[in-house]
Amino acid sequence: MITVPERVEGLGSPIQGVTLYSFTRAFHGREYDLEGLIRKTAAEGYGPGLEIIGFSSFRGFPEIDDAYAGWFRDLVDEVGLVTTSLAVNADIGIHRDRLLNQDELIEYMTRQIKAAAKLGFPIARVQISIEPDSMEALAPIAEEHGVTLALEVHADQYASHPRILALRDRYEKVGSPFLGFTMDWGATVSGFAPSLIEAYRRRGASEELLRQVVDLWNTYYEQGPPADQAEHGQRFGSFIGLAARNGRPDLGIDFGINGTGLFGPARVDDWLVIAPWIKHVHGKFFGIDENGEEPSVPVRDLVKLLVENGYKGAISSEYEGWHWNHWESPFDIIRAEQAVQRSAAADAGSRMVTDLAEARAQLGAWLPTAEGASA
Amino acid sequence: MIPDRIIEQGTLTTDGSRTAVEVRLPWYRALPGSCIAGATLTVDGVEAPAESLRWTMNGREFGFADLVDETGEWWFPTDSALLSGDLPIDPDAEHEVTVGLTLYIPYIIISDTETLHIDETNTKTMKAVAA
Repeated sequence: MITVPERVEGLGSPIQGVTLYSFTRAFHGREYDLEGLIRKTAAEGYGPGLEIIGFSSFRGFPEIDDAYAGWFRDLVDEVGLVTTSLAVNADIGIHRDRLLNQDELIEYMTRQIKAAAKLGFPIARVQISIEPDSMEALAPIAEEHGVTLALEVHADQYASHPRILALRDRYEKVGSPFLGFTMDWGATVSGFAPSLIEAYRRRGASEELLRQVVDLWNTYYEQGPPADQAEHGQRFGSFIGLAARNGRPDLGIDFGINGTGLFGPARVDDWLVIAPWIKHVHGKFFGIDENGEEPSVPVRDLVKLLVENGYKGAISSEYEGWHWNHWESPFDIIRAEQAVQRSAAADAGSRMVTDLAEARAQLGAWLPTAEGASA
Repeated sequence: MIPDRIIEQGTLTTDGSRTAVEVRLPWYRALPGSCIAGATLTVDGVEAPAESLRWTMNGREFGFADLVDETGEWWFPTDSALLSGDLPIDPDAEHEVTVGLTLYIPYIIISDTETLHIDETNTKTMKAVAA
């Protein structure tokens, strides 16, 4: 039987939120512990949606004992947030000499799905290394624990990439409401992030080299995303070659990783091919300019697309400029990006949900539960 | 990703023949011992012999050969590990310390048989303390 999710009627109203990944340097630098970051997220109004990476924030993950889970859930309730997605990882390469086989992978992911349920997350974000057969095998486990598996579509992939379409087609065949996608805005970027150009400038890159990097990225943007992994590899190599020709081979890998793996050059409407299966969103972005706008991610167009397609899940603002931007506060930048999202939702004739009770009710209705699918 | 934080400032210790420094994970999420594939410890341009290197995390000491199969002990992003090796240096003097790390990133599979690995290096200058 082929099952396509029902088309959602009416305009969407995404739930505002944040992933603590945005504050990686603050946590890693011991400025804030997990409790401190959760309290700050609530106090500063970055929620109500809260996303956390299991292996980043929970010591001993995915083993979570009852006392710890209770402490965590009480804290989230006390500060007034709603847990959205627990980002989990398929560590297929955890053994040095071999990759996990299918049975081992299912067991590895099951432990993390159980952890998500125990901690109160209705979604587990999974990643591209999980193939259609494994997603199909995980569907009943997800259903048993009431956790939706939302596979992240992240550059260098994009919605219409063959691997993503193969997953979508399998989702149609399986027909489980517990399988879907996490949309990562980094797949549909419209420019090389200016803050990263500034970071290279501070590392001594010449203006001529920086101009060439931007030109090369713009060439790929005009061409659209790479058709396959071979073309992706060619583009990666061209960034390395550019750095070497300009006497800065030390920057080559960095150009390649960011130019192809963070700044994906697909168009915003590419998302339409998987729109009914988008259960969660990473509002990936890299910085805010002097006009209060994101200069390289089309945040306004992306929010508009979600509103027009009836999206009522959460958007986790995911600031990734922290890798290179050590001169601005990630907290100020998150605040500014969320203002753009709210403005964009209003321009699209709707709004972002920022009220806690409304967010909880809406997310509960948006996602299936263990007792039965919601829609 | 976060290579500037690998060496913990002010943690260089020596007993005259062995030297140690605290190191931080240059990645955003915990990794198991099996993904810590190698390290180098260099002080004032002299590298400690590879076979003398020891890695201490979560209160347990490992040789790098022992870490290959270690999936029970994990390096958490806010924890320091201790890297030590045979390297005679002067206590109470300034030294230039360089640590290199090779880490496997277990969820990024780049071919049918291969997992992504990263090589990160950090150099800092600090005074040694007698252990």
